[in-house]
Amino acid sequence: MDCQQIRNFSIIAHIDHGKSTLADRLLEGTGAVEKREMKDQLLDDMELERERGITIKARAVAIRHRLDGKTYELNLIDTPGHVDFHYEVSRSLTCCEGALLLVDAFQGVEAQTVANAYAAMENNLTIIPVMNKIDLNHARPVEVAEEVEQALAIPTDEIVKVSAKTGFGIDELLRAIIDHIPAPQGRPEAPLQAMVFDSHYDEYRGAITYVRIMNGTVQRGQKIRFLRGGTVHEVHEIGQFVPGPRPTEQLAAGQVGYLICNIKSLDLVHIGDTVSVPGDLGVEALAGYQEPQRMVYCGLYPSDGQDFEELRDALNKLAINDPSFEFEPETSDALGFGFRCGFLGLLHMEIVQQRLEQESDVDLVQTAPNVTYEVVLKTGEVLQIHKPQEVPDVGDIEEFRHPIAKVSIVVPSEYIGPVMKLCQERRGNQLNTEYLSPLRAMLTYEMPLAEVIYDLHDKLKSASRGYGTMNYEFVAYRPEDLIRLDILVNGNRVDALAIICDRTDADRRGRAVVTKLKKEIERHMFEVAVQAAIGSRVIARETVPALRKNVTAKCYGGDITRKRKLWAKQREGKKRMKSIGQVDIPQKAFMAVLDKGSDKS
Amino acid sequence: MVVATPSVTWNGPRSAYVHIPFCSHHCGYCNFTVIAGRGDLIENYLRALRCELAELKFPRPVDTLFLGGGTPTQLNKNELRSLLELTLTWFPLTEGGEFSVEANPADVETEKIDLLVAWGVNRISLGAQSFQSHKLKTLERDHDAAKIHQAVELASSRIASVSLDLIFGLPNESLTDWSRDLQAALALRPNHLSTYGLTYEKGTHFWSRQQRGQIQQLSEEAEREMFELAINHLTAAGLEHYEISNFARPNHRCRHNEAYWSGAEYYAAGAGASRFVNGLRETNHRSVVNYLRLVLSGKSPVAQREQLAPEDAAREQLVFGLRRLAGVDRNDFHRKTGFTIEALIEAPLDTFLKLGLLEWVQNRLRLTREGLMVSDSLWPAFL
Repeated sequence: MDCQQIRNFSIIAHIDHGKSTLADRLLEGTGAVEKREMKDQLLDDMELERERGITIKARAVAIRHRLDGKTYELNLIDTPGHVDFHYEVSRSLTCCEGALLLVDAFQGVEAQTVANAYAAMENNLTIIPVMNKIDLNHARPVEVAEEVEQALAIPTDEIVKVSAKTGFGIDELLRAIIDHIPAPQGRPEAPLQAMVFDSHYDEYRGAITYVRIMNGTVQRGQKIRFLRGGTVHEVHEIGQFVPGPRPTEQLAAGQVGYLICNIKSLDLVHIGDTVSVPGDLGVEALAGYQEPQRMVYCGLYPSDGQDFEELRDALNKLAINDPSFEFEPETSDALGFGFRCGFLGLLHMEIVQQRLEQESDVDLVQTAPNVTYEVVLKTGEVLQIHKPQEVPDVGDIEEFRHPIAKVSIVVPSEYIGPVMKLCQERRGNQLNTEYLSPLRAMLTYEMPLAEVIYDLHDKLKSASRGYGTMNYEFVAYRPEDLIRLDILVNGNRVDALAIICDRTDADRRGRAVVTKLKKEIERHMFEVAVQAAIGSRVIARETVPALRKNVTAKCYGGDITRKRKLWAKQREGKKRMKSIGQVDIPQKAFMAVLDKGSDKS
Repeated sequence: MVVATPSVTWNGPRSAYVHIPFCSHHCGYCNFTVIAGRGDLIENYLRALRCELAELKFPRPVDTLFLGGGTPTQLNKNELRSLLELTLTWFPLTEGGEFSVEANPADVETEKIDLLVAWGVNRISLGAQSFQSHKLKTLERDHDAAKIHQAVELASSRIASVSLDLIFGLPNESLTDWSRDLQAALALRPNHLSTYGLTYEKGTHFWSRQQRGQIQQLSEEAEREMFELAINHLTAAGLEHYEISNFARPNHRCRHNEAYWSGAEYYAAGAGASRFVNGLRETNHRSVVNYLRLVLSGKSPVAQREQLAPEDAAREQLVFGLRRLAGVDRNDFHRKTGFTIEALIEAPLDTFLKLGLLEWVQNRLRLTREGLMVSDSLWPAFL
C-alpha cells in the first residue's frame, strides 16, 4: 500500500459525544462490516467497556475505502474519552496524522473537547471538526459552531456535520478525511522503525503488539528487535484489525497493525518502544511516551488474609494489560498484608476494582483514595508520600507540600454562580473566565488535587444540573499547612483510616469522619469509642453504644435450620469486615474518611 | 494435615411432632404454618397425615410426643379423636412419656379435655399471650382473661402439667402492663411458662405495618427491661429459668423441647413440620394446600433437605445447647459429638469469656445474664 493512500487518524471527543457510534458508522459506511454483523459499539470489546459505555483501551482498525477510483486504507485508532485516560489519548495521537474532533450538536464544546483538541494540536495533527447528532430536534448547530471557533480557533466553515446514528454526512466525512488529513511520510525501503503504541496479552497467542510503522517494512517470518527492551523475536504473524484480526504478509511504512511473536510475557513489550531489526542499522529509537502519571493511590486488601497471593496474581494479570496501573505490597496494622495501588484517577480506580471483582473471587477492602504528597525533611531529603501512614514526625518536617491541579470547567452561564461557590469551597483559586458563547463559559481554577479527585465531578454535575463538564491536569507541588489526622477505634489507632488534611480543616474533617464511622460501625456487645486525633490531642469523639438486647425468643424444631442458616450468613458478613481490636469494621467504613462534612445532605 | 473425622452414631428418634395448621384466625404477629377459616380441609389433612405417617412402615415408640399448631384444639371431637388415634398408632408413647398438646384457651371445654386425657395427654400448653384486653386486642386473640382462668382451672384438674405462653414487648406496652401479666399468670400457678418477646417476622401483618410506620417497635432498652423483669419475677416465684424463653417448676420442663435443644433426633409430620433423623434434616412444604396436594398424590411433602456433616451438627448442638441456662457439659459434648468445645470455637470462646458473656461453671460452659441478653450476636462466631 502506497503511503499516499493511507490515512491514520483518531477520534477525540468529550465522553458521550458519540465517538464509538461514529466509529461503528465509519466501519459500516466503508463496508468493513456488514450491517447485520454490527453490534453496537464494535470497538469497545471489553465487557466492562460496553457496560459503562466508556472506551478504555485504544484499538486500531484498518478500513478499506474506495474514493474516486482509488482504494485508501484508513486506520482508525480509537481513544478513550474520559479525563482519567488522557494518557491513552496521547499514546494514540502520536501514531496519527489527523484527528476527528467530535462535538455534540446539542452539548457543544465541553472541558474534555478542549483538552483533547489541545493535545492533538501539540502533536501537530490536522484536526477535522465534526459536529455529531445533527439530527436531534434540539440540536443548536450555529451556537455550537461558534463555540468551536471561539474556544479552539477552528473556522466554522470547516465543520463537517454528521449524524452517527442515522449515517447522515458519513460519506462527506470520509472524503474530508482523505482530502485533509496528510498521508503518512516514511519510506518502505528504509530500515524498519515502528512505534509500539499498545499491547495486550492473549492467553493463546501471547503478547499482541500494536505498531505504527514509521519507516521500512516488516514481514512475516523475519526477526525484529525492540530497541529499548533489547530483545529479538521472530514474527509469527502480522496483521490488521478489520475489525477482527486479519493476517497479512507484511506491513509497510505508514501502516498500522499488530505483530505476534510468541512473546510469553508482556514485560518484554514496552509501550513507546521502537521496533527495528537485529543488528546495528543506525535506526534511532522514537521519542516514546511519558510515563503515565498516577494521581490517586489507595490500599487494596483481601478481606481474608489467606487470599493475599490470589490478590497478587489478580493484580499482576490486570497490570499486564494496563501499564498505567501500578501496585506494590504494603502492610497495615489494621488490615494486614495488601497492596498500595496507583491509578490515573478515580474512574480508573473504580474500573480496576470492578475488574478485580469480576475476574477473581477475592473479597476486597479498599482504603480511601488519596493523592501523593511531598515532604521535605529537615535534612533536605524530599519524600513522596503515597499514604498517610508514611507521614514522618512533625518535628522532622521542614515543608509539607500538596499537589495542585489546574481545573477547566465548561458550564452554561446560568450555573456559573453555583459552580464558583463549589470551587471556592474546594479552595479553588480562579485563574480565568472565558465565554465560549453568550450562553456558555469556561472557568479555570487552580485547586488542591485532593479536592478534585474525590468527588468534584459529581458535585459539579449536581451544581449544574448535569451540564457542567471538567478536565484537570497536575500543575505542581506547593507548600501548605498540612497535618496527619489519626482515627482511633476503642483506643487503637487505625492506620488505614488516617488522613492528611489542612490544619484549619482538621476539626471539621475529624468530626465528619467520626460521625460517619459511628453510622457505619454496627453496635457490638460492648461500647465502641471512635476518636479523631492530631498527635495525642483528641479533637472529636463519638460512641457506638453497646447492644442491649438481641436474642431469639422462639427456637424449636422447625426454627433450628432457619436460625442456623441466618447466623451462618451473618458470620459470612462478618468475615468481610476487618476486625480491629475486637471491633468489626465494615468495608464501607474505610471510605468514611472521604466524608468532608461540608455537604448539607 | 490429618484430622480424624469424628463419627457420630445416630440412635434413632425418641420424640415426634405432629403439626395441625388450622386456626380460626391468622393473628397479625404469627408466622407459623397456619391456615385460617379452612375447616373444610381438616378431613383431607387427616387423610394426608395418615399417608405421610404410613411411610414410617412400622410404629416408632417415642418418649415425647407433641401436637402443635396452629391450633390442634380447633378440630372437633371426632376429628381430634382420629388425630390422637392416628398419632399414637405410629408413635406409641413409652411408659412415663410426655404427651403435649397446644391449645387455644377459647377452645378448652370439658369434652375435649376428657378426650385428650383419655388418649394419654399429660401436658397442655395454652396460648394465653396476655390477660389484658388491650394487649389481646392488639394481638388479635379471640379470648379474654376470664376464658384463660376457666381453661387453666379445667385443665389443671385433669392434666398433670399446664403451661402458659405469654407475649411481651407489644407496641406501646408499658412495664406495668407486662408486670400485671406476669402476676396474673403466676396467680394461676401454672407448672410451666414461656415468655416471648414480640418479633416482627417477614410475611406477617405486623411486619408490613411496621415497615409502613403504622406501628413502632418498642425500644431495645424497654424490651430488655421487660425480659429481665420476667426472669426476676418468675424465678423469684420458684420457677426455674431453663431456656431463653422457658420457665418451669421442678420436674415440669418440657422434655420434648429439651430434645430439640440437646441435638437429639425427632420425627415429624404435617405441613411445615421439620424432622431430624440420622443426621438428615427435612422440612415439609409450608403451604397447607401444597402439602395436601403432594401427599395425597403419593409424592413426598419434603421441601428442604440437608445432611449435616458431623462438625456442623456439633456446632449447631453447641449453639442450641447454650440457649439452655444449664449450658453445655464439656465432657458430654465431646462424648456425643466427637469434638471438644475449645477446638470448635477457640478464638471466639476466649473473647466471649473475657467480655463476660460466657462463663465456665465447673465443667459447664454457659451464658451469663449479659450474654443471654445479646446471645444472637454470639452465635455467628460459633457457626
